[in-house]
Amino acid sequence: MLENQKKDVGLYGFTGCNGDQLTIIHSEDKLLDFWQSVHIKSFSLAKSDNDDSDLDIALVEGSISNQEQAEHMKEIRKRSKKLIAIGNCACYGGVQAMELGSKGWDQRFRKVYGDAFFELRTPIESKPIDVFVDVDFYIPGCPINADQFFYCFAHLIQDHVPTIPDHPVCAECRWRENDCLLLKGILCLGPLTASGCNAVCPSHNLPCLGCWGPVEEANVSSEFNLLKEKGLTQEEIKRRFRMHNGSGIIKPLKKILGVL
Amino acid sequence: MRAVKLRKQDLPAFLKCVQSFGELWGPVREKDRQVLKKTDDVNQIDLTTIRTSLPFKKLLFPPRFSMFHFSGNKYTTSLEHLPNRIIFGLHPCDIHALLIMDDFFTRSFDDPYYTERRKKTAIIGFSCIPDEKCFCHATKTDTVEEGFDLFLTDLDDFFLIWVGSSLGDDMTRECPKIIDEGILPEDLKKYVEWRKYRNSQFKMDIDLTSMPEIFDLSYDSVIWEEEGEKCLSCGACTIVCPTCPCYHVYDKIEMGKIEGERMRQWDSCLFKEYSMVAEGHNFRESRAERLKLRFTHKLQAFVGEYGKPACVGCGRCIETCPVDIDIATIVRRLRGEEVKV
Ligand code: SF4
Ligand code: SF4
Ligand code: SF4
Ligand code: SF4
Repeated sequence: MLENQKKDVGLYGFTGCNGDQLTIIHSEDKLLDFWQSVHIKSFSLAKSDNDDSDLDIALVEGSISNQEQAEHMKEIRKRSKKLIAIGNCACYGGVQAMELGSKGWDQRFRKVYGDAFFELRTPIESKPIDVFVDVDFYIPGCPINADQFFYCFAHLIQDHVPTIPDHPVCAECRWRENDCLLLKGILCLGPLTASGCNAVCPSHNLPCLGCWGPVEEANVSSEFNLLKEKGLTQEEIKRRFRMHNGSGIIKPLKKILGVL
Repeated sequence: MRAVKLRKQDLPAFLKCVQSFGELWGPVREKDRQVLKKTDDVNQIDLTTIRTSLPFKKLLFPPRFSMFHFSGNKYTTSLEHLPNRIIFGLHPCDIHALLIMDDFFTRSFDDPYYTERRKKTAIIGFSCIPDEKCFCHATKTDTVEEGFDLFLTDLDDFFLIWVGSSLGDDMTRECPKIIDEGILPEDLKKYVEWRKYRNSQFKMDIDLTSMPEIFDLSYDSVIWEEEGEKCLSCGACTIVCPTCPCYHVYDKIEMGKIEGERMRQWDSCLFKEYSMVAEGHNFRESRAERLKLRFTHKLQAFVGEYGKPACVGCGRCIETCPVDIDIATIVRRLRGEEVKV
């Protein structure tokens, strides 16, 4: 690709484990192409000469959990043509947003931190980035899947919109011919969860915890009823549904339960 | 049709012998299910298999594969290096499904990604006794006259082998020591009795007569909405169905290059994007509409076009759907029969 056609790209991390940026860094076989196909203007986990110039594409990992982060997020948005959320925390809020949508954040916060004084940061309830800014594209996962990420990235830097199929985890799970855990009465979130992980958990006989976040057509109420029929309690189901689905599960769950 | 005999104890030797024609694939038990697998150890093949979790279609067009590699204006396919394969153990329902697939992928134009694999695939069918989910008697797919190279019927102390093609003929002649050409009158009698016994073993009570008309009259039925509320849109029923051929095509490009792979992967009419066209318009926005499409296609539209349903009664969707939406429940509900919900 010609030097002057290359996009200016920045990577940023807010509240999260850095797993998504690390997934990129650990993809040794892709790194040369990654670095050569764009100008990486900022990637503080991987290099030290970072700047705050205007960007064609900003990739953002992590949720927003203090006011300073919210300001920084808005500032990145202002100088970026495209904003891409990567990973579950940026897309849905991550595990730190599992209570999103319920009242009582103040009490929960005090229970953990007591009356601690935060000098440099003003904590707020942790939320996905699209609560603060417009997001152009979401690449979910916990962490993101390298294949899915580089597939999307290759398209985005050529101004194509990548297509992530709207399949749930079950599709990839059935392709791999796993024994279906849900049929055995195990709380598997495969039908509600976006695919892309290659059904890694059910392929190891572990139920899907939903870490890719909800698939567009997730039929939350049907799976909820099914799990109740199979003998699971409302509390167990609710906990599992909320664990990774953050902002993505609030509406459908409120519809079933009334309040969260 | 030529027929020969094979003693029970000679089956492993026979399968070993036909391996000179290609890789042997057969049903192998894995935990709670049977999976069609490549196996060199013929003793691994589970002859009691009723249905493999995925049908043969995974070998003729895999769930996800690269059609070709492109670079600039050039492209190269990888169809030259396909292996020869023998699929052992297909029951009549799956052989009927194979004939439907063959027709689908060749009728309007030849799809090389299917036909090149198909040409290199030999089929050795195997008889079965239906379980409580089989209903090939209702779809009239319980016996086969074509679609196989060899077909083995298990008659207790020996197998009666029907030879269905010249390749099948070659296979029997490859192993002359164990193949017995002399079919006796009592062997035929045994076969006829076996057929009678098998016919008596169907447990599922399902009536598929007049389905096209019933669908016509049920277009606005509440059944679709009710079942649509339950459907998880997981796609499992279409993935396991031996007559569902739908796929999605996309390009996987390399970063910063005009180079990549054109990929094909299984799609499902129960996924919302399947019916989406340009500008985001969707012909089947709701789950109810998508379910209606699946069942109407299997039992009405296909009958209009091909003179038979596109369901071969294999029972896989019955075994698979987490919320019990399958051919049997839908047909019963449409006929106004009692269905436990
Ligand atoms: S095990 Fe889970 S992910 Fe796999 S098919 Fe069953 S419900 Fe879906
Ligand atoms: S199976 Fe579910 S929990 Fe496991 S990685 Fe995939 S989306 Fe996450
Ligand atoms: S619709 Fe169901 S029973 Fe009929 S062929 Fe497909 S999977 Fe088998
Ligand atoms: S298997 Fe059942 S729940 Fe899943 S898409 Fe098919 S009908 Fe719907």
